[in-house]
Amino acid sequence: PSQRGNPVLRFIRNVPWEFGDVGPDFVLGTSSCALFLSLRYHHLHPGYIHERLRALGRSFGLQVLLLQVDVRDPQQSLKDLAKVCLLTDCTLLLAWSPEEAGRYLETFKSYEQKPPDLLKERVEQDFLSRVTDCLTSVKSVNRTDALSLLGTFGSLAAVVGASREDLSLCPGVGPQKVR
Amino acid sequence: ARVRVRGSGAAMAALLEHESQIFLELFHRDGLVVCARGLGIDRLLLRFLRLYCEPASLVLVLNTSPAEEEYFIDQLRSDGVVHLPRRVTNEIANNTRYEFYTQGGVIFATSRILVVDFLTDRIPANLITGILVYKAHRIIESCQEAFILRLYRQKNKQGFIKAFTDNAVAFNTGFCHVERVMKNLFVGKLYLWPRFHIAVHSFLEKHKPEVVEIHVAMTPAMLAIQTAILDILNACLKELKRYNPALEVEDLSLENAIAKPFDKTIRHYLDPLWHQLGAKTKSLVQDLKILRTLLLYLTQYDCVTFLNLLESLKASEKAFGENSGWLFLDSSTSMFVNARARVYRIADEKLNQKGKGSGSEKRDVKKENELKRELVLESNPKWEALREVLKEIENENKNSDNLGGPGQVLICASDDRACAQLREYIITGAEAFLTRLYNKTFGKDEKAAEVWIKDRKAMKSKGNAKPDTGPQAKKAKLTASSKQNKQKKQQDRTLIQMIGKTEEEKREEVEVEDNKELSSSQEGNIEEIIPEDFDFSLPSDCYYGIFKDPLTIIHPLQGCGDPYALTRVLHEVEPRYVVLYDAELTFVRQLEIYKASRPGKPLRYFLIYGGSTEEQRYLTALRKEKEAFEKLIREKASMVVPEEREGRDETNLDLLRDARPASASADTRKAGGQEQKGVQQTIIVDMREFRSELPSLIHRRGIDIEPVTLEVGDYILTPDICVERKSISDLIGSLNNGRLYAQCVAMCRYYKRPVLLIEFDPNKSFSLIPRGSLQPEISSNDVTSKLTLLTLHFPKLRILWCPSPHATAEVFEELKQNHPQPDAETAMAVTADSEILPDSDKYNPGPQDFLLKMPGVNAKNCRALMTHVKSIAELVMLSKDELAKILGNAANATQLFDFIHLTYAEALAKGKSKR
Repeated sequence: PSQRGNPVLRFIRNVPWEFGDVGPDFVLGTSSCALFLSLRYHHLHPGYIHERLRALGRSFGLQVLLLQVDVRDPQQSLKDLAKVCLLTDCTLLLAWSPEEAGRYLETFKSYEQKPPDLLKERVEQDFLSRVTDCLTSVKSVNRTDALSLLGTFGSLAAVVGASREDLSLCPGVGPQKVR
Repeated sequence: ARVRVRGSGAAMAALLEHESQIFLELFHRDGLVVCARGLGIDRLLLRFLRLYCEPASLVLVLNTSPAEEEYFIDQLRSDGVVHLPRRVTNEIANNTRYEFYTQGGVIFATSRILVVDFLTDRIPANLITGILVYKAHRIIESCQEAFILRLYRQKNKQGFIKAFTDNAVAFNTGFCHVERVMKNLFVGKLYLWPRFHIAVHSFLEKHKPEVVEIHVAMTPAMLAIQTAILDILNACLKELKRYNPALEVEDLSLENAIAKPFDKTIRHYLDPLWHQLGAKTKSLVQDLKILRTLLLYLTQYDCVTFLNLLESLKASEKAFGENSGWLFLDSSTSMFVNARARVYRIADEKLNQKGKGSGSEKRDVKKENELKRELVLESNPKWEALREVLKEIENENKNSDNLGGPGQVLICASDDRACAQLREYIITGAEAFLTRLYNKTFGKDEKAAEVWIKDRKAMKSKGNAKPDTGPQAKKAKLTASSKQNKQKKQQDRTLIQMIGKTEEEKREEVEVEDNKELSSSQEGNIEEIIPEDFDFSLPSDCYYGIFKDPLTIIHPLQGCGDPYALTRVLHEVEPRYVVLYDAELTFVRQLEIYKASRPGKPLRYFLIYGGSTEEQRYLTALRKEKEAFEKLIREKASMVVPEEREGRDETNLDLLRDARPASASADTRKAGGQEQKGVQQTIIVDMREFRSELPSLIHRRGIDIEPVTLEVGDYILTPDICVERKSISDLIGSLNNGRLYAQCVAMCRYYKRPVLLIEFDPNKSFSLIPRGSLQPEISSNDVTSKLTLLTLHFPKLRILWCPSPHATAEVFEELKQNHPQPDAETAMAVTADSEILPDSDKYNPGPQDFLLKMPGVNAKNCRALMTHVKSIAELVMLSKDELAKILGNAANATQLFDFIHLTYAEALAKGKSKR
């Protein structure tokens, strides 16, 4: 409700939104919310954001402080806010225009359920590379180790079921097999 | 070998008067020497190196490039120095480096290695005799060399610091630049040695080489082109000013626009606000660049190359549909007309246009409009001048017995391309060369055009009248080439007699001085004219009387990998005549020094000025340097150098990074910072991070740095806070390839407060995406979207946004306040094994990762799986049905089961059949 008239709202076009009586400025999903702050406003009312943050507490899993940089020399206040965010478990995001801020908000909403695959390394889909990928996720196993393990034991089942002695017989694998 | 020894002997011969003066002054008192370009700064450094090449001293040399190091070492070796300088590279293992240093002598070292060694006390700082800094104008506050010097001064109060530079112009930018540099260098004395220094001037006056300046007038066509280009340049500059009234105007004059570093200046002005500029300004800047190249090409190369460039410009303009405006100005049309006129004329005028100097050649070219062209191929007037000069040298050599035989000739042109052209010109003559070039560039075009026309015809199925253009053209070419051959022979006889002679004689000499040839070809830097070529290019009847005669060498001034190639050549060839095809400040000075160092031997050099712009460029460079020196002198007069600048006592404020005396820092570091925990701030920094300037800035703020190889994170501020630093380009890259994801996973697992630091370039604008490029739809490729996704998946991850490394260092310091110090041991250990874990996870993360990587398992059913199955071993024992029950999905279960039980052999077979 406090955000009525915020120019950012004009730029939230790709997802539906509505006014509601909520604690934070924006509730983006079941576990995430955002506070919006413009640096110019912050300079006028430096106490405002602290109050808001205190009121918010730690009720959401992800709390974003969306900061719009609209002053010339943001360095000092940016530093302070970064510190505040670190202490209050907020994630700081910077936007340089209302468009950008709006974009962040709508992306948060629309990506709420998206798996992180986009960020991960592409894993090829064939069996061999998946198995090696799988095995290398174990500490101290590298790509060649993975292949030699597979070669000696035949299948993943056998590798996992193998005893400590069997494993240490493999070239390049010392006694660091902890499982 | 004989020549080599003699040459280098000359290089190391006693220093010249003014040089020894500099040497003595600098030897007695540390300082920064700013020398005029080409005035032998390298000789000076060499002198110092020779002085310290002994095991008893340990001298570090900073800021040299491998090529320079090679040169210095070579020079010293040929000078018979036993204890040669050595280089520290990463090939020398960490633990042996201390011994390496203690062996003494002169050491060239990479800055990154030195920083780390200083921080870890791997270098015996108190034993260092001193540090020599080359190219000192580059030492700005945040660079690694400055960091090294600071560390050095903190630990060693006795050693010397001597700095050298020959780039006075560099000090001209910014406010009090020279003073800041000196502060960073910890030197209190500034020695200025401009060319107009009284000692230098009077000394060089005594040994003045003979100078012949030749001003070559340009042909009318060239002149017209030049005026046209200048007109356009001026128009562009005006336009630029009109669009950006905020720009500083004085630097954007036409005179400056001609000078070499103009591109850099303009970038310097525009970079900070680059993102705010309109498309118009950007294209204007681009145009300016193109025009400058055009101007260069005009005087530098031949008419064909120039026209080719021009045509291709026009073509690309059409192809991309972007019109930059200047092509439509009146001047540009005149430029095109003239450029074409230099190459060919419309056939009607051919009779009255034939000039005897540029003997023309007929060649009919069929075009769509049946236009007949005639090649005129105006040759570059500078070439004519060069030939004149060579002729003169020739004559002089004939009656030069009293001088002790003929002298060598060295021709210097600006770059490789010019050299190659000159060489070909001298060998084959202007006509042949130009025709060949013409055929190469435009012959191809014509063929392509014909093919294209044919294609179009076929497509439109218009039965037009030229089905036989191809063969006809070929015929024409054949006849032309045969004619050309005949003509060439004649010309060779008449026009190039003189040159041919030179070449032949050269061959003779090459045979005589075989060993010389060998040694120089081993150098690999010299563009030697290979004798075998002559047989092909010259008809055998051009053989004239033999007398011992000059070796002629063409060498580029720039664009050579080895910065000292020219110097070497100079000392090896010992030319009596030097022809500067392109005037260059540094080399002219070098020649003066060279002359002065060998008194009694005659040296004459010729300067060839190609015309007004080229001369202008040279003079501007000269003036710029002079102004820079004058400014430096004024600054020096008004400079206040505090007593403690050199940092030899405890009072230098720069060295006191904290309230603590600097000497104490060494002790704490030796103890690993353990004892004074809570007092001395420490940050653990990853080894690989020393490429950036941040560690230096952190250290400056009074925080100790422990260089360590970290697997997780880049900086550990407190036991809780771990920072991963990303520059913008890095950020985008690692968001795309998934590295950042993996790093975040690791950081979140081992640290309570993982932090992603996004560091912006202080010289660029402080914003993530350029203005106006925001797309209306959410796309998964945007940085913002990926960043959002990242925060969604790592709610614990904090993000710091810092506009510059300075700001980062500040933030780091504040974040560390009232927090315990991190421990390097645990930081390293944390990454090595997964046992030490925060208890936030109910399950062991290792197997969890393992599970998630398997097909059929995703984030949702992973939990269920883990609650039901005790270990991976147990999982493997499960049947397909049981799996289905746990996962709640038969398809997933099948996938997983197959995955587990598929054998390696089968997989291999499958893979093979796929391939």
